[in-house]
Order: sequence, then structure tokens, then C-alpha cells
Amino acid sequence: MGLLEPLLKISPLTLAAVLVFSPALFGVVVFAVRTKWSRKGVVTVAGWVLTLAAITVFAIAFVSRTALSATLPAQAAPWSMIVAGGDLALLAAILVIAVRFRSAMVLVVALVQLAVVLYAELTGGHAADAAPAVFIDWLSVVMVMIVSVIGSIIVVYGLPYMKEHERHLGIDEAGSHRPGFFLTMLVFLGAMNGLVIFDDLRFVFFFWEVTTLCSFLLIRHDATELANTNALRALWMNTLGGVGFAAAIALFGAHAHTYSVQALLHSPMGAAASLPILAALACLMFAAFTKSAQMPFHSWLLGAMVAPTPVSALLHSSTMVKAGVYLLMRFAPAFHGTQLSNVLAIAGGFTFVATAFLAIGQTNAKKILAYSTISNLGLIIACTGLNRPLALAAAVMLLIFHAISKGLLFMACGVVEHGIHSRDIEDMQGLVNRMPLTTLIMVIGILSMLLPPFGVLIAKLAAIEASVHLPLAMGMLVIGSTLTVAFWTKWTGRLLTSEPGAVHPKIEHLHVMYFVPLVLLTVGAVAFSLAVFPLLTELVEPAVTQYYALVPGAAGGVDLSSDVLAVPWMLVFGFMATAVVVPVLVARTRPDEEVGAYMCGEQIETPNGSGFITAAEQSCALSIRGHYFERYVGEETHGLWMTVVAALLMAAMLGAVALR
Amino acid sequence: MGLIDIARSKSPWILHFDAGACNGCDIELLACLTPVYDVERFGIINIGNPKHADVLLVTGTVNKRSARVLRNLYDQMPEPKAVVAIGACALSGGVFHQCYNILGGVDSVLPVDVYVPGCAPKPEAIIEGVVMALGKMQEREHARKRGAA
Amino acid sequence: MMAEYLAALAAVLVAPFIGGVLMGIDRIVSARLQSRQGPPLFQPFYDILKLFAKRRMAANTFQMISVSVYLASMVLSLALLFMGQDLLVLLFILALGNIMLILGGFSVKSPYSQLGSQREVIVLLAYEPLLVCMVVGTYIMTGSFSAASIFGLERPLALSMPAFVITQALVMAMKLHKSPFDVSASHHAHQELVRGIYTEFSGPQMAVIELAHLYELVLLLGFIALFWHTNLGIGIALALACYGAVIVLDNISARMTTRWMFGFTWSFGLALAAANLAALYATGPLPR
Ligand code: SF4
Repeated sequence: MGLLEPLLKISPLTLAAVLVFSPALFGVVVFAVRTKWSRKGVVTVAGWVLTLAAITVFAIAFVSRTALSATLPAQAAPWSMIVAGGDLALLAAILVIAVRFRSAMVLVVALVQLAVVLYAELTGGHAADAAPAVFIDWLSVVMVMIVSVIGSIIVVYGLPYMKEHERHLGIDEAGSHRPGFFLTMLVFLGAMNGLVIFDDLRFVFFFWEVTTLCSFLLIRHDATELANTNALRALWMNTLGGVGFAAAIALFGAHAHTYSVQALLHSPMGAAASLPILAALACLMFAAFTKSAQMPFHSWLLGAMVAPTPVSALLHSSTMVKAGVYLLMRFAPAFHGTQLSNVLAIAGGFTFVATAFLAIGQTNAKKILAYSTISNLGLIIACTGLNRPLALAAAVMLLIFHAISKGLLFMACGVVEHGIHSRDIEDMQGLVNRMPLTTLIMVIGILSMLLPPFGVLIAKLAAIEASVHLPLAMGMLVIGSTLTVAFWTKWTGRLLTSEPGAVHPKIEHLHVMYFVPLVLLTVGAVAFSLAVFPLLTELVEPAVTQYYALVPGAAGGVDLSSDVLAVPWMLVFGFMATAVVVPVLVARTRPDEEVGAYMCGEQIETPNGSGFITAAEQSCALSIRGHYFERYVGEETHGLWMTVVAALLMAAMLGAVALR
Repeated sequence: MGLIDIARSKSPWILHFDAGACNGCDIELLACLTPVYDVERFGIINIGNPKHADVLLVTGTVNKRSARVLRNLYDQMPEPKAVVAIGACALSGGVFHQCYNILGGVDSVLPVDVYVPGCAPKPEAIIEGVVMALGKMQEREHARKRGAA
Repeated sequence: MMAEYLAALAAVLVAPFIGGVLMGIDRIVSARLQSRQGPPLFQPFYDILKLFAKRRMAANTFQMISVSVYLASMVLSLALLFMGQDLLVLLFILALGNIMLILGGFSVKSPYSQLGSQREVIVLLAYEPLLVCMVVGTYIMTGSFSAASIFGLERPLALSMPAFVITQALVMAMKLHKSPFDVSASHHAHQELVRGIYTEFSGPQMAVIELAHLYELVLLLGFIALFWHTNLGIGIALALACYGAVIVLDNISARMTTRWMFGFTWSFGLALAAANLAALYATGPLPR
């Protein structure tokens, strides 16, 4: 490890500055210097810088084996003033948006938030702050890696995508909105990094609100009627979450006299916490639910799919929604052993089941992906609520695997959308004939969300194993996992449904900036699943261990031993890989004879593909549709009561606070 | 006789196609499946899907409408396979011979291995026809192997 | 460790023979129930061998991969069972195989295999929760998901989890496509389904599927045998009794609709499972 020794000399503050501010700086350059080549170059360089910085952070954490922390030089600047000013500036921006778009909802929520923020500033300003400002532990490292690496890949993918997108909308280079777009994307990444590496809750809150504002700008990017409506919905819901966050800050300031997360976690927590502290935690949960688009706030993420695909990819996989679950995982030791934690598990479990159920009835690929994201975040939240080492480990694994697979799936969807000009999975029928390479990537992405021995499923099984203590949550996890199978399988089925004679379809050409990100994430999805054990021992276990060091009575190392993880997964992997490879290698897949489908001997070729001859001697093209059970799983039928139940569960959290 | 040969002779799955029969032959054919004759004793199953079938049993005359279907079904059966024509109609057109829409017997469209005469043939005759067809199928397969070797 | 692997290997080698004979018995019993004599005992082996020797005819390249993974998942599940491994993982590996087969059915633009695959998705949805609940039940009893841990119990599971013997029999009927659950495919050709999900697989592909069925049968019986681990003789008898019941059910009932099947398993089946689980939570040994 001698080689890595110099790394340890890098100050955490420098790293923080690079991770948080360099994307914004690059973004400004992109915005200011408006040429095609500078944009491509700068965005790519920004991606590389972020990736390298993240890898450096990982390497340092790996070598030093402790959390990195640093204090801001107190004399250098009035930090609390700066961050308070930042908060107010953001709120001012939101108020301007509210007025400009005549949105009463945003206006009201923003004013409420303003009141709460001002109250927090005025009452709690005296908290003594010796605690570190920057605190990078394993959880932060995981998040920084996800945000910086996957985020960068997505932003780079955005280069060709947005070009094509604007060409499609008939926008020329001069009137291009791309400089602003990439500025926002990069600022977003920086803010996410800030959110996970700063320790002072007021800083975290500032970055939290920056992501809210950035997501509004990105969702609204196409400036259509629908984009405006949906962006405003996202804005008010997330600002409402911000109210919760600000309230939590006020409560912490008044009753715990500190804003440092670490200091808070080291103070009496869990069952020993006082009522206001528990209330503050419930407020944070509320904030996390809005940001992670949990029911009843899921509608903003569904609406967000109007945005260009790179935005969706970013919101769903590596940023935004991950901020909410990060916050909960960060505070997990604080509500360990409380009723609040159990209610949280059930609320997360409910979203997991409900959205998996609703996803079955959808034909819009991006909507299915959105529901799946919400569902998986629900699962992560349920894990956090279960609040046991194994559950937390499952949550961290899900965080990683979901980010990779979902980023991949959204990007593949974007490529398909530009290829066939539709996001409907019915239109993707037989995509394997038209775009075999993209289909292959997409299918790997889907299977990596669904099947063993891929990581998401291993984590899911670990979650079920960790949930046996809470039968209700367990039932939800079991049923949710089953429902998940349905919509993924049906979608993959559509993709693979091929016309006969497509034994060797022609491979399509992909833009290199599509190809490289897609292949990177595909390889990532497979490689990380293969490396699930090193990942577990090197990354996940330290993250969980440091957490449970904070839980009273659980100190002295965590026990991640589990039957699920004890399975010889490498054997499983090897066996399955053999089963795929052998038929390919021995050319058994290449039939002696190609043959069309059985249609009672009436099959013929029509101009629209295979067909048959009817009893009236007419030729008729065969058309096949998937079955979506709209009558049983429709959003219209079930959306309302599910939202009501979810709202009741939120109310139950308050009840749990009162009951301890 | 190798293992495969034994297996083949003990597991003929049949596909029945009525190319234009008066249904007399079909009834006799289906009688083979009933408890009285129980062809499953010989491993024979009426599989109803050309892709799984070994022996194609055709009843009735081939007319202009059914010729294409018959051909299609035959083409979808994987080798090795055999064809049995059942009844006078399937052999030559029978009572429908020289009718305006009739092409003739099954052999006007497909290579037929075994002709089972009768109007209609008895179930015993049909079963024997299948057995003979299996023999011819095996012979053909052996000849092909020798040719390839 | 070594012994476990050897046990698994032995099971993988022997299972197809046991499965084949049992399936032969199934066909003879079914024939007798219909006052027929039925095929020879070894008929399943003849069928598989013959299918293997047929020329390869396919609609696309994915079909062969699909059946190959299907077989692999059945073999692997059986091996994991005999290695005493995690039952939850085993279930999902089993599901992996089924999903691949469904995708194979979807991969051909054919009315019959598409219909079969659509329905098979629902069949999967119908029985999966029952299986997982069964495994959760064993967890409550043993504090572990591993099959091996069951052997640490003093009392047979069938006494504490009687409802799950019934649900396992139901699951067996569904997985083997027996009436009244043969909605997506069956061993006999059905008019509107032809052979459902299997329609477009031919020759060697079909042979692989049939071979996988033999493993699946042994696996399903093995699950039930675990319910009387203290005396595996009784366990096996219990499993065979369930199999007999399923065969009789197959012959005395007609195929029902997919919707009925789903409703039946999610109401009756899950209610049984939930009641038994509730009883276990209330009385059984609590987990760690
Ligand atoms: S041969 Fe006789 S029984 Fe058979 S189809 Fe012709 S007319 Fe009918």
C-alpha cells in the first residue's frame, strides 16, 4: 500500500472542494463558451475529474480504514452566514418561480418553508460547532462513487442524446438550450456530492434544496405545457419535503444544540431519545419520502419522465431519489429500536408492493422504470426501517446495484426511443430484430434487476431474510418481489418476440458516446454482481459496521452472517454462465432448419411480417399484444386508495413518535 | 438396433390432419385412442402440433384449399418423419375422385410412406400402418446416416 | 463440505431416473383411471431419447439458450437442496429457470406460445408466494433458511406446518401443469392452446425441457419429503401420497381459467399459509 501513501496527505477539504465545486465550474465554462467542441470536451473532462476524485476518495478510505473528517477554518469566513444566505437565495429563486409560473401551491409551500427556515435561524443560531464540517465515511464513499462515476457516465451520454433530441425538436445550434442543460446537470452532481460529504445539517439542507431546484429546471427543460406542470409538481412536493427538513433542523438546534450529524448520532438516540428529537427524525423521514418519491409523493417522479432521458437516468439512478434514502440510512442508528423504525419499514414495504403492482399495468417503458425505481427505493427504506445489520447491508447493496442497472436501463431506453420514436413497450416488440445490440444490453439490464445470481436479487433475498422479525413487512417484501417478476418478464418478452428467420439479425450502429456508457454500465452490472463478496467485505461491511458502532448494545462488530450470503454464489454464477455459453459455443443454437410459428398450417408471409390465411381465404398479418391486466391493476382503480393508505402510514409515523 | 432406434420405435407421436374426409376415417382414427384400442400402449400420443410430431396421419382427399395447409404442416415437422395416408379418399380421392375441387390423394402433395386402404379402415389397420411407417422411417434414417458417413 | 458436494452430484445423476420412473407411473395410473392400459413404465425415457435424436428445427437462436438455462436452474436447485443450502435462494433460482422458459415462449411470434407464456407468468405469480411462505415457515421453526437446519429439529415439520403440505401439493399441481391448473400448457394437446408455452420448442429443445421436468418433479417431491425429516421413509411416502393426490386431481377435474386459478391460490392458498404462519409466530420457537 506504500504506493498509495501520498494519497493520505490530500486534505479532505480539497477533495470536498473538487467533488462539490469542480462540476459547477466546468458547468459554467460549458455555459460561457458556446461551441460544440468545447462542450463535448469540457463535459467529458468534468466527468473524468469527478470519476478520478471519487476513486481517490475510495482509495484513501481503503488505505486509511477510517472516516475522513475535517473542520472548516472558522476564521476564514462566516460559514453559517454563508449557508443561511444560500438557503434564503434558493428560497427566493423558488418564490420567483412560483410567481413567474403562477403556482399558488409552490408559493404557499415556499413561504411556509421560509418561515420555518427563518425560525430555525433565529432560534438555533447559537449551537456550538466544534464538530467536523466534512465527514466522509464508507456510506459517503459509496454515495460519492455512485454519484460521481455513474452520474458522469450519464452526463457524457447526454452529449449525443441532447444533440439528437434538439435536432428532433428542430432547434438549431444557435438557439440550443444545451449549455444551460449541462450546467444544471453538472451543478446537480456537485450538489449531490455535497449532500453526502458534509456533516453539518445546515450544509446538507442547502445542497438538498439545490437538488430540488436543479431537478425543477431539468424536468422543465423542454418547456412544454406538460413539462411545466410536472416540474411545478416536483417543485412543490420537494419544497414541502424541505419544510420537513428545516423543521428537523430547528428541532435539533433547539433540543440537541448541534447541527452536526455525527454529534447527533453520538448523543442519546433510539429509545433513549427525547420526544422532540424523535419528532425531528420523523420530520427527516417525511423529507426523505418526498425526495425519494415514496407514496403518497410518488407522482412527481412519474411526472418527471417528460424530461429528456439523461435527466431521468440521473434522477432515478444516481442522484435525487438516492438523496432521500441516503439521509435515512445515515440516521438509521438514531431511530434504532423505536416504533418509528418499524412504521418506516412498513411504509417503505407498502410503497414497494403498491408500485410493483401498478407497474404491471403499464406499457410506457419510462413509466415502468419509474415505478420500478420507486418500488426499489421503497425496499431500501424498508431495509432501513428493519434496522438490523443485514438489512442495512442489503440496503447498501441495493443502492449500488440499483444505480447501475437503472442508469443502464434508462440510457438504453433513450437509445431505443431515438431508434424507433416510441417509448411504448408494445412498439418495442421484436426489437431484437431491429436493434439487437441495444436489446441485448437492455435485456441484461432487466435481468440484472430481476434474476439470481445478479446483485439486486441477492440483496432482495438478504432483505427478506432480515425481515422475518416483522411479519407484516416480510409479507410485503415477499409479495412485492413476486409482482416485480411480472412486469419485467412481460417487457423482456416483448423485446424478444421475433419474427421467424431472424436467426442472425444485422447489428445496428451505435454512436460511440452511446456505446461506451452503455457497455461500461453493462459490464459494471455483471462485474459487480460477480464481485458481490469482495464488495460486501470491502465496502458494505465497513459501512454497516461503522453504523452499528453507534447503536447502544450493538457495539463490538456486526454479524452479517446470513444463509443467503452463505450460498456458493460463484458456483451459481458459473453454472448459469455455462448454461448460456455452452449452447452458443457448440453452435447448438444454430438450427439445422429455420421454421416459422405454428399457425394451424395457415401461415404465410405478408408485407407486414408473418401472417395467416383466414377462413375467408384472405391473408391477414399476425399482430400480437401483451396483456396488461388493465382492469385489475389500473392506476385509476388503485391509485387513490393506495395514496390514502400511504398518507395514513405517514400519519402513523407521527403516532409512533408519540408512542415511542 | 441402437438405443435411439428403440426409442424412436417406441415413441411415435402423431399429428392427425383431416384434408377433406367425410369424417368416417377420422372417427376410426380417434377410436384408436379409446380404451378399446389404447394406442398409448405403444407410446403413441396424438400430439396435435407438427413441431412435436413424428408421423403425419392424413385422412380424406386433398383439395385445392387443404393442399397448402397439408404442405405447411408437413414442413413444420422436424425430421425424421413419416406420412400415412388413411382411407380410400386419402389414397386416391376415393368417392370424391374427379370432383371439381379435388387434386387427388395425399401423394399428389406429399411423399407418402404407407397407404392404409379401406372406407373406412379398421383401427387395427391404422395402428399397423403407423408401425409400418415407423419401419420405413428408420430405414430412411439409416440410409441417410450411411450416405453421410 | 466435500460430502455435501458429493451428495449433490449423486442426486443430480440419479434424479432423472427416479423422475422418469415416477412420470411413467403417473402415465400408467392416469391411463388406468381412464380404463386404459397405458404406456410402458419407461415411456418418458423413450420420449426424451427420441426427441434428442430429432433434427434441430428452431425459430430463433434464443430458444436453445432459454431451455438450457431452464434445465440448468432445475439441476442447480436440486443440487442446492441436497447441499442443504438456503431454500429462499433455491426458490429464486427455480424462478430463474421458469422465467427463462417463459422468455423462450415469448421469443417466437406465435399465437399459441405467446398465450402460453402470458399465462405462465400468472401461474408463476400464483404459486411463488406460497413457496416463499413455506420457506419462511421453516425459518420460524429453525431460525435459518438453510435446508440443512431442518434436520436439527426434533419434531417433523408436517406436524407444525400441516397447511404447507397442502400448499406444496397445490404448487406441485401448478408447476407440473396438472388439471385444474393446466392453463398455460399441459401434457396433452388442448384445442385452443395446442401445447401452450411448449408449442414452438421442438426436437432436442423439447427433450431438454422434458429432462428438466424430471428434475423438477424430484425437487418438488424432495420439498415435501423434508416435512418429515426425522424419518425420511415417511417423508417420501408423504411426498408420493401428495403426488398421487395430484394425479387423481388431474384426472377428475377439468381445466379452469387463469383468473380462477390466481384467485384460488391467492385467497385459499395464501389464507392457509397465513393462518399457519400466524400460528407459528404465536407458538413456534422465535428466531434469533
Ligand atoms: S375413405 Fe371413406 S370413410 Fe374415409 S373419408 Fe373417404 S369416404 Fe369417408
